[in-house]
Amino acid sequence: MPRSFHELRERLLRAGVAPRHVRRYLAELSDHLADLTAEEERTGRGRADAEAAALARLGGVDELAKAMTERRQLQSWCARAPWAMFSVAPLLFLAGAYFVACSILWSGWKIFLPGADNPFGAHIGGPVYGIENIYFQTGRMIYFGAPVLVGWGLALMAARQRLKAVWPAAGLVLVAWMGATARVHAIRPAAHGAGGQVSMSFFTLGPSAQQSMIGFLLILSLAVLPYVIWRLRTRFFST
Amino acid sequence: MSSMAARETNPNFMNGVPELLILRLLKQEEMYGYEIVQAIRERTDAVIAVGEGVVYPVLHGLERDGALKSRRKTVNGRSRIYYSVTAAGRRRLADLSQAWTSLAGAIQKMLTGGQYAKVIP
Repeated sequence: MPRSFHELRERLLRAGVAPRHVRRYLAELSDHLADLTAEEERTGRGRADAEAAALARLGGVDELAKAMTERRQLQSWCARAPWAMFSVAPLLFLAGAYFVACSILWSGWKIFLPGADNPFGAHIGGPVYGIENIYFQTGRMIYFGAPVLVGWGLALMAARQRLKAVWPAAGLVLVAWMGATARVHAIRPAAHGAGGQVSMSFFTLGPSAQQSMIGFLLILSLAVLPYVIWRLRTRFFST
Repeated sequence: MSSMAARETNPNFMNGVPELLILRLLKQEEMYGYEIVQAIRERTDAVIAVGEGVVYPVLHGLERDGALKSRRKTVNGRSRIYYSVTAAGRRRLADLSQAWTSLAGAIQKMLTGGQYAKVIP
């Protein structure tokens, strides 16, 4: 692949063209260039001359980039609606993950601990083992891992699209805040035979403000790490 | 309102010439980018020369709009992306062809001294 294609790729991604269109465009241009080079060689040109002529026929980087960037339908959602991709979407993903975690907690409570006042370890008369433990730990893993995984997803999107730090940073702060302030409440109404209820609250510090702040910093540090590594790598090791 | 719409239509249509040519070619058979460019050059006696690499954004745009579909096919050991026209693409081709025919007719009429003959110096 000629060096100009690398420049073209960076320009297209920075201009907001969806990575999948960029990848396919470059693959098609490479194939086209190979065909043109072969065609030029058939006219009797040497390899180097044929390649230069083929590149000229293919078009300059400016022309090739402009043709792609002026088509709005080829832009990624990150470029078209960054506010949605870096604020609404991650919060929805996180809410979805918490819903799954709460469903596991609620169903585990109902199936394995039907008599307990709540599904948390300290109140159920001893630890749980075997399948029950695996079941509850899966829920815990989703609950604690979701903010970091969603943060990594944001970082990946930002890196693939060569985005500036503003939107991913805003998204990561939101996700970390939602993750740090998330609280699970499990109550069983006093009425005899009533089923337990699991609910969640978000975005308020509550009585344990210090714990929330530590959680916020921890989630933010873990979530931001891949993005920081990518930024440092592109800044210091890009050719 | 209608005159405003008409004014907006022509520039869009002029931008749509590569689309028209590509849709017309692909209506007959599926092709990949290099073939399309060669075919346009040959069939228009090189009067219309589409920028060779610039054809791909047009193809991607048409595919995104649902006018084309693509599939990867290996021919002589090389993997190519072949494009073909969809039903929506055929409708778009019909619209573009009709618009082009009426525009070309109007220009022809003007050049040959029709009702706008005084405009030509």
